[in-house]
Amino acid sequence: MKSAPFEYVAPSTISGVLEILGQNDPDEVKLMAGGQSLMPLLNMRLSRPALVLDLGRVADLDFIRETDQGVVIGAMTTKRAVEDSELILREHPLFWESTVAIGHPPIRNRGTVGGSMAQADPASEYPAVALVLEAELVAVSARGERTIPADDFFVTYLTTCLEPDEVLTEIRIPRLAPRTGWAFQEVARRHGDFAIVGATATLGLEAGVAVEPRIAVFGAGDRALRFPSAESLLAGQPATDEVIDEVAAQVAAAVEDPLDDAHASADYRRHLAGVLVGRVLREAAVRAAEASTGA
Amino acid sequence: MAIEIPKNLDELPTTRPRYVGRGIRRVEDVGLLTGRVEFVDDVVLPRMLHCAILRSPFPHARITGVDTQAAEALEGVAAVVTGEDARRWSLPAQSSPEGWGTHCIAGDKVHYVGEPVAAVAASSRRVAEDALELIEVDYEPLEPVADPFKAMKPESPQVLDAQETNVMLDRVFTWGDVDGAFAEAAHVFQEKFRWNRLGANPTETFGCISEWDPMSLDLTIHGSIQSPGMFGLGRAATFSLPSNKVNIISHAHGGSFGGKGGTRGCDISCLLSRKVDGRPVKWIEDRGEYLLSGGGQAWDRHYEVALAVDAQGIVSGLKVGLVDDLGATGEAYGAISAAKPLAAFTGPYTIPVAQYDLKLVATNKLPCGPYRGMGPPPHFFVLEQMMDIAARSLGEDPAEFRRKNFIPADQFPYTIASGNEYDSGNYGEVLDQVLALSDYSALRAAQVEARAEGRLVGVGVANAIEPGVFDWNAYAIVGMPGTGVPEGATVNIDILGNATVRVGFSLEGQGQYTLVCQLVADYFGYEPENVRVVQLDTQSAPPSFGPGGSRLGVAITGAVLGACERIREKMARVVAVLMQSEPENIEFMDGKFTLKGAPGAEMTVAEVAGTMLARSDLLPPDIDPRPEATHVWTAAGRTPADEEGRAKSYLTAAHAVHIVQVEIDPETGMVEIQRYCLADDCGTRLNPDTVEGQTEGSVVQGIGAALLEEYVYDEDAQPLTTSFMDYLMPTVFDAPKLEMVAVETPSPFTPLGAKGCGEGAIHTTPAAVMCAINDALAPLGTSAREVPAAPMRLWKLIKEARERASDENNNY
Repeated sequence: MKSAPFEYVAPSTISGVLEILGQNDPDEVKLMAGGQSLMPLLNMRLSRPALVLDLGRVADLDFIRETDQGVVIGAMTTKRAVEDSELILREHPLFWESTVAIGHPPIRNRGTVGGSMAQADPASEYPAVALVLEAELVAVSARGERTIPADDFFVTYLTTCLEPDEVLTEIRIPRLAPRTGWAFQEVARRHGDFAIVGATATLGLEAGVAVEPRIAVFGAGDRALRFPSAESLLAGQPATDEVIDEVAAQVAAAVEDPLDDAHASADYRRHLAGVLVGRVLREAAVRAAEASTGA
Repeated sequence: MAIEIPKNLDELPTTRPRYVGRGIRRVEDVGLLTGRVEFVDDVVLPRMLHCAILRSPFPHARITGVDTQAAEALEGVAAVVTGEDARRWSLPAQSSPEGWGTHCIAGDKVHYVGEPVAAVAASSRRVAEDALELIEVDYEPLEPVADPFKAMKPESPQVLDAQETNVMLDRVFTWGDVDGAFAEAAHVFQEKFRWNRLGANPTETFGCISEWDPMSLDLTIHGSIQSPGMFGLGRAATFSLPSNKVNIISHAHGGSFGGKGGTRGCDISCLLSRKVDGRPVKWIEDRGEYLLSGGGQAWDRHYEVALAVDAQGIVSGLKVGLVDDLGATGEAYGAISAAKPLAAFTGPYTIPVAQYDLKLVATNKLPCGPYRGMGPPPHFFVLEQMMDIAARSLGEDPAEFRRKNFIPADQFPYTIASGNEYDSGNYGEVLDQVLALSDYSALRAAQVEARAEGRLVGVGVANAIEPGVFDWNAYAIVGMPGTGVPEGATVNIDILGNATVRVGFSLEGQGQYTLVCQLVADYFGYEPENVRVVQLDTQSAPPSFGPGGSRLGVAITGAVLGACERIREKMARVVAVLMQSEPENIEFMDGKFTLKGAPGAEMTVAEVAGTMLARSDLLPPDIDPRPEATHVWTAAGRTPADEEGRAKSYLTAAHAVHIVQVEIDPETGMVEIQRYCLADDCGTRLNPDTVEGQTEGSVVQGIGAALLEEYVYDEDAQPLTTSFMDYLMPTVFDAPKLEMVAVETPSPFTPLGAKGCGEGAIHTTPAAVMCAINDALAPLGTSAREVPAAPMRLWKLIKEARERASDENNNY
């Protein structure tokens, strides 16, 4: 299990990265963040780039900052740094909770936020959380910088809208509205595994009525999925068991072509999507109710 | 002179054992855990090359051409071997049922995905893997067969060209009047079960360095080898070499659990070494190779079982039908997994008659190898489900139903229907202990409450026999040559009194070096630090099998105590001369030789050893002055198998009862283990900490079997679980907190009364977890008959049961 031969570079600045991308056929270059997905692919010779461009030494990509709008996380920030961040725990407990569901400490020590986003594994936790938090992803290339809403970023299996010459640099997570409830749950065969299916939601409550619900599911389809029609069904309704069951059923029905593999059939995944959406909505509603009573 | 080996702790020459029977800190752990011991991949030999193996992507295909020219031309490549070299220099594997072995590299045909088709020796593993990509193999795909039931049909694709069928063995073994028992039974219960393929996954995979000198024909193999002696014999047979030309140097290794067969890769590295004039060739199996094509897949089984029960609820007969899918060749002794259940076929019960309808079938999957437990764990899974089915149907508590079928404590030694003799046991006591530990009635009360809330909470009570100290006669029904029980040790006391014990097995993590230190320390009045254990290669070591078949703890105890006894006897003769008396007047206790009736006249072992090695002038004339002795221990009273496979085979029968509480999430099918209690009885516990460690590890492997582990093949025999992303080993998060209690019923047949305990809990855990799951599902009128109980499977069962119930309601 040794990789095919490749060249290796580790520039220390973003401009250095862009320069190298400009000098090479970008399709022949593989960017490496934490390497937690790429290294096995290289060693199994499933990925055979001519050049591996290691982002590990690019200094200005590893940060967590608070801004007026919310929190900004550098693409090369490790999951461990997120886990250890009091700012994330305080401002985005949902993001924190999804982080500790990823793998195990050795994986989080190396795996990065940007790496997971750019890898876009359909069963990965971060893309779904980015959807419900309405995060924005910032990419740069020699052509300049662009800001991409999470909704547009994840395209399909292991595919984002990033161009081959673009580098993801940061993830911007807007501040949640006050008293927003949130929840994150997944079904995985073992703690730390990629989820079979997971779900996450945020929700406000005003006089028992759901405000601005956001729902996302991962592991079910070709990418993390958000469900605007189910959200509209819930918005303005009392967050009762009955309503939530109806919303969950609509989500289950709306999953197109669920994944089907040795561990979980398409049917089972569709069913789990509904079950988990029901559970996260109930949990988020409890949190929202607690927040509004100041509990 | 006959050697008397102490049968219990009181017979040791010490006032009170200070080490044996106690949990002392293990001498080998630091080296193994810090990696300071030399593992085979640490070994670098002069002019060494590295091997990589090209493997078949097809489950079944004709090979019409292999072009190695481009690979041979790559810089750094020293040699390439193909099936042609294998046929020239080696014989087919002899570890399969007769006639089913194949060469280590495929010739005209590949029989499973991952079968070697060529291999390269190069300056580095990386170059060797680069070279593999330059080898061109022309395949003509053939129709594969993945299902053993299809494979048994005459129109099935034929796996091996040399055979006319895919059925390796088809025999019914009958022990007693089984038809009569079923005809007279008040109740007969029948069920089918599926145990999916799983297996050993040691931390370190197999690895070796082979040097085959083409001039002398000496073959030397360094390796991470579980059974070096038997491995060496296998290589001698495969390469038609005299057995004394093959020397195996086994290194400390990171576990085995039976999964270190490794013979194909090793044989390939031998062929490469021969081709490069004897240069050493290293082959380290990587995890991908291990999961795809290693020695770690086992027990791919389809069962059909029937239980006869009389009007009093006593089980009167057992029929087990097993279709055992051994994959393409059943090599590396995988087939004996189907034979071993004979050593404990009827479990802890008095079931007087039994039948085993056994079919060993070849398919286009990886050959099955050995795994911890070697066959009985699935057997007990089905037996214990049947016991629960009977108890539930008769309205009896599963614990009490088992109790009334137990072999009574006063009936030992007890011969079971399938021929083996159990040495000792007190099954009722073991059950009582775990019932008390778990507060069983409280568990049942909590279950009633949970069920009232609609929760799926279940309690499993299951037990099993762990056959210990194997003998090859146990496997007579599958007819493969092998070696059995003898285990030797040489104990040497040096001129300053320090002890060195030379053994033939390597460190694997089970704590046997510590055991050797404990034994010598208590025997000679030493501290464990005075004792050093050294492993010898197979050409230097006394006869040794090593760990396997839950034997080494018992066997090495016999060997070491026998050697100590011989030294004591020799020293007593020396002391008698020095004290001007006769040997029969010399007593030995707590490390001191004393003269009967002469207080104050004493010599320590060190003083005697120093005298023997330094003072010729004081020695009796006929004495061999070396304070050293070798003893080879073997099990007494074993018998050859009769026509129906019945034999006194495994020497000991350990027993355990596990009680497990689970809750199933009905919406997801996920199982949570809430309590895990067990009581076990493996006779005298030579090192209780080691027994606990073995038990803990084995419970976790059993949980893996019950809930997680499964090698999945699609219907075209393509493997779908080829990495740890898909093959799910339990992690620390899946390990419940264990509550354990011990019962000690010494064996009357073994040194110090110890029983084999190394395979341990995996015999019971899958059964216990599945009993708990089925107890949880019982109110729904459904049950799980397939392991692992993956969440999707349970969800489906629950959903179907609820749909049935709602249909029935609608019909009313």
